[in-house]
Amino acid sequence: MTRVAKVSPSRGASLSEVAALHQVSKRFGQTQALDRVSLSVERGELLALLGPNGAGKSTAIRLLSGLRRPDTGTVRLFGQNPQHASARVHLGVTPQETGLPDGLRVGEVVQLVRAHYPDPAGAGELLERFDLANLERRQCGGLSGGQRRRLAVALAFVGNPRLVILDEPTTGLDVEARRALWAAVKYYQTQGGTALLTTHYLEEAEALASRVVVINGGRIRAEGTVAEIKARVGLRQVRFQASAVPQIEGVSRLERNNGSFVLYTPNSDAVVRQLVEEQVNFSDLEVKAVSLEEAFVALTAE
Amino acid sequence: MKPMLAHYKANLLELLRLPAYWIPSMVFPTMFFLFFAAPNANHPEAASLLLGSYLVFAVLGVVMFQFGVGIASDRASAWNIFERTLPLPPLAKLAAPILTALTFAAMAGAVLVIAAYLSTPARLEPGAWIRLIPALLAGAVPLALLGLCVGYLASPKAAVPVANLLYLPLSFAGGLWVPPQFLPEFVQHISPFTPTRQWGEAVWSAVNGTTWQAEPFIWLAGFTLLFGAIALWGYHRDQGQRFG
Repeated sequence: MTRVAKVSPSRGASLSEVAALHQVSKRFGQTQALDRVSLSVERGELLALLGPNGAGKSTAIRLLSGLRRPDTGTVRLFGQNPQHASARVHLGVTPQETGLPDGLRVGEVVQLVRAHYPDPAGAGELLERFDLANLERRQCGGLSGGQRRRLAVALAFVGNPRLVILDEPTTGLDVEARRALWAAVKYYQTQGGTALLTTHYLEEAEALASRVVVINGGRIRAEGTVAEIKARVGLRQVRFQASAVPQIEGVSRLERNNGSFVLYTPNSDAVVRQLVEEQVNFSDLEVKAVSLEEAFVALTAE
Repeated sequence: MKPMLAHYKANLLELLRLPAYWIPSMVFPTMFFLFFAAPNANHPEAASLLLGSYLVFAVLGVVMFQFGVGIASDRASAWNIFERTLPLPPLAKLAAPILTALTFAAMAGAVLVIAAYLSTPARLEPGAWIRLIPALLAGAVPLALLGLCVGYLASPKAAVPVANLLYLPLSFAGGLWVPPQFLPEFVQHISPFTPTRQWGEAVWSAVNGTTWQAEPFIWLAGFTLLFGAIALWGYHRDQGQRFG
């Protein structure tokens, strides 16, 4: 039997790496937006960057799309510096803020963007995919907020990209439009595409992501599958009045204010069961889901 | 080339759908000419010189607004951020507004020439036409750069008033509305130091068939360096703030 030698790719970059940050720091004035962050996007995956506002998600995304330069560290997109136009031929981006040329028609905007790529998607097919087909002749200035956002996301797919970067793609969309957009992103992934997206919504990561990276305060705090991350940040709040509370398992954080308690936990059922078993004399019991923002605050405000 | 032409086409379409932009730049120079210049333009030579002045005024308006107001509003637009993620080199992006400005300047000039030929005895020799084009371009370059200074240094809200504050006094003091010798005395002292006056000098020589002097071109080259340096500084400052 011969042993196959394990070949390690040069310079630490795996062969399937599509885009990466290596030890990247970025500071804006007094704010350290990113602090020695390393992150790699692998071919075929759907990576979600999760974190509260101001965590550094958008800075990471802007660096990878070539919109900003790192203070230190290196940024790679298809092995090149994303600031070079040629590196971005296989990239599609939806920035966080939607901007469209108001005086141009939807179809004209798609044609303008198509002109930049060697092998663009068909305009009609693309508009169909994002439910914009009947709006082709409408001027962008006359679109609703949701329609504008859908078009901004569709534009990321115009060049038949190998990687799409979507910065909070579904912000401002209603539930139905959000689900339709998720379906479009999933379809793209089944066709071999790679996606990097940021989101505030755990639900969105759950629907789409194959891997999640949690970022806060400019650093990577956690990384794993959606289930793993959910166990860490998918918290519930258990509120009640009581005179005292014994040691309870599975509580990530306990807040106490005179006689009222707030317990943060991934498993509220188990916590309530323990409260009953321990015969805690509680009143006004309330259990509610915690937003991602609150969960981060609860987990990081130690 | 293809993306650059696509941007040019998009620019033209967008501006043509904004009558508030193109009507003033098409109509103002001709309207001013008919109000202020045509009644006094009874001789072919005087009429032709005035036509030259108002051509400068027309081109000035297009470049100040295209580069001043256009760049300032681009800087504030989220669309501009998206455009930066497209695989388009920055220099290719700059070519489209230059072509757009040339197109609008040519249209504004054509309207003015037709109006002047119909309403006054202004007539240009074929040789004058040939010299007129480079003379107009020689001044268009430094004033487009002045427009870029406004575009990169003024906020989008301030850009329109600032552009007007430069465009209108520069036109008057440069002797474009009334010939320099009829300007109020104190303005006559300032006039030679304005880029518009030097631009006018280059154009007037072309129109009346006199030999070009080096002086206006030296002045225009100096203004090109000055405004170019400020525009470049403003460009780097803006790029550093938004994309550094």
